[in-house]
Amino acid sequence: MTDTLATGRQDAPPPIAHHPVREVFTGPVGSIGITLVIVIAAGLIVIGPRFLSASNITIAGQFVAIPILIGAFAAFALLAGVVDLSIGSMAGVSAAIIGALLVNGWEIWPAMAITLAACLVFGCINALAIVGFNADPIAATLGMLTGLRGATYVIVEAFGQSGSLFAFHEGLFAFTNMMAWSLPLIFLIALCVTAVAALIVGKTRLGRHVRAVGGDPLAAARAGISVARVRTGALLLSAFGAGIGGILYVGQLGAVSRLLGFGLEFQVYAALMIGGYSILRGGVGAPVGGALGFLVIAGAANILDLSGISPYYVNVIVGALLLAAVLLDRLRGGDAYE
Amino acid sequence: MEGQTRSPFRSLAVAAAATTVLGAGYATDAAAQDKFKLGMAVGGNPCCEWMKAQGDVARAIAEQRGWDYIELSNNDDAATALKNAGIFIQEGADAVIQFNGQPSANPALAQRFAPANIPVVTYDIAQPGFYFVGIDNLAAGLAGGEALGNIIKEKWNCEPDLVISAEGAAAGIVNEWRTGGMRDGLKKVCPDIPAEKWVSFESQGQATVGLPAARDLLAAHPDAKKMAVVGLNDGGVLAAINAAEQLGRADEIIGWGQDGAFITGDNVNPHLAGSVFYFLEGYAVYAIRDVIDAIAAGNPPPMKDTAGDPASRVEPCPVSAEEAAKVPDMPERVKLLLEAPPGTTAYELFCPNK
Repeated sequence: MTDTLATGRQDAPPPIAHHPVREVFTGPVGSIGITLVIVIAAGLIVIGPRFLSASNITIAGQFVAIPILIGAFAAFALLAGVVDLSIGSMAGVSAAIIGALLVNGWEIWPAMAITLAACLVFGCINALAIVGFNADPIAATLGMLTGLRGATYVIVEAFGQSGSLFAFHEGLFAFTNMMAWSLPLIFLIALCVTAVAALIVGKTRLGRHVRAVGGDPLAAARAGISVARVRTGALLLSAFGAGIGGILYVGQLGAVSRLLGFGLEFQVYAALMIGGYSILRGGVGAPVGGALGFLVIAGAANILDLSGISPYYVNVIVGALLLAAVLLDRLRGGDAYE
Repeated sequence: MEGQTRSPFRSLAVAAAATTVLGAGYATDAAAQDKFKLGMAVGGNPCCEWMKAQGDVARAIAEQRGWDYIELSNNDDAATALKNAGIFIQEGADAVIQFNGQPSANPALAQRFAPANIPVVTYDIAQPGFYFVGIDNLAAGLAGGEALGNIIKEKWNCEPDLVISAEGAAAGIVNEWRTGGMRDGLKKVCPDIPAEKWVSFESQGQATVGLPAARDLLAAHPDAKKMAVVGLNDGGVLAAINAAEQLGRADEIIGWGQDGAFITGDNVNPHLAGSVFYFLEGYAVYAIRDVIDAIAAGNPPPMKDTAGDPASRVEPCPVSAEEAAKVPDMPERVKLLLEAPPGTTAYELFCPNK
């Protein structure tokens, strides 16, 4: 991967000198921040003040909180240069495991512990393949995606009825619907997790190591950073985040379907890429940008919902935003910018 | 890299300032409304044109009645269905119709709608507290199975080499009723087909998606020639027929589908011997005529929330391919349905076997 990147860098435009004002508009987070402002402005123009009403923010916040949370953890793997495609089916199998445990009379805390432990085991298998055996991350995690999707089917089939596993838990339901300062608690938690991730990535040695490993693993190794350890940790974090997401979905929905988490990986990575991450280039992106990417998509979808425009246009908008993000990345020099 | 760590907070400050300016006048809920407002949550699975058509028909009828109308797509996703419930409540819908392909979310949806006192009509998948409008899936499955059984009896003396089930497990109980019902219907006519002749594959209800699994199944039974196919819907059954065609083994394969999605038009597969029309696009006629109109008039009908005792029953219409050729395709049916006198159903207009 490093060789490919090195070749790519030879063709990249020359580095652009950093300028504080220009950075606000063209930086990976600055541009998505501006995009969010544009979306909010569009919402206020098209929908009116109710676009920013407490109830509307609550609806969008509850919907987007779990993907933001999963994305905040999965982004560590992207930063470390290893994309984890299994996060969607990991969330699905996590939901299926905790659902099966709850319907079999387990208490919530041990059930959560076992579910997260299982996800960490799956993360370990990903790490073993990618770090231990140098497997291609896309191929390895695609295998995990497929395997866990099948496992979700098996578990739901075994413990559920007619394709659904009803696992309503009063405490978990109350938690996922709890409000704080007029906003959904899990949305605030997702934002807090993003803020902590931003601090780790931007202000700590660990964060610098993760970005260094993703940006140029050979150089990072020469600098004494354990590439294997960083990537293993990142993959475990990714699995852990997906596991948490699955548990929260059970709280929100009170049930698990065989399709829970299906396609979630694309939803998450599209938002992260719009927010400035790259699934092929490690070391690129920032957690705040990723979260803003989710908010931009959620905001655009909400405008369509409330204005009566066909919801089928959401994917058109997501695709256009992705293309715009890629073009902006190229315009500012791609790798050279970093 | 350094600039990257500084810019998030600067950008956020810019965004927050702009948002504060733009968001002045932080509003509360939707303004009070005068007209009756109907919400419609379409299934949103890109597999099926009828899901979009269900919304088109509901919108047209709502407009005929002078109602406000809001349509959202469930995207075949439970979390999205839950989000949509919140939007319907926020937007002050007086009643909601939904087709939710992910019924695991129905109890959570019911918990959202009940406190808001919004009556909900559910298509085809029952939920306590939601008015049930839909087909008797089991009856439709049995009818299709019997029709296919009669063909097998006549052509093969009830001795097929294989009976293939195109399952769609994600549809849950609906799959059991339709696909299982077709098997049971076929067994009524041909009770002595040995157990080892009955095989299944996961079609996911889609011709293209189910194709690889169908090819694998046929490859595992290289000697099978006389093959009958039942399934969740026309798309799933076509997956097996298309696989047989690709492998050059379609000479003696006969399928009978469900839902009638691929049995009309110019390009009907000759091996699809028949299907069961539900006229899915026209469900809104039943829902509005038998439930929503009464709610709009202030006299909500008694709750009937089971498939056995529905608020409005959609009649299944089993048809052979020859009979189906006389039925207009879906866009034409939608047009004719909306031109018909209010309350006229697609079954009354188009079913050749009434």
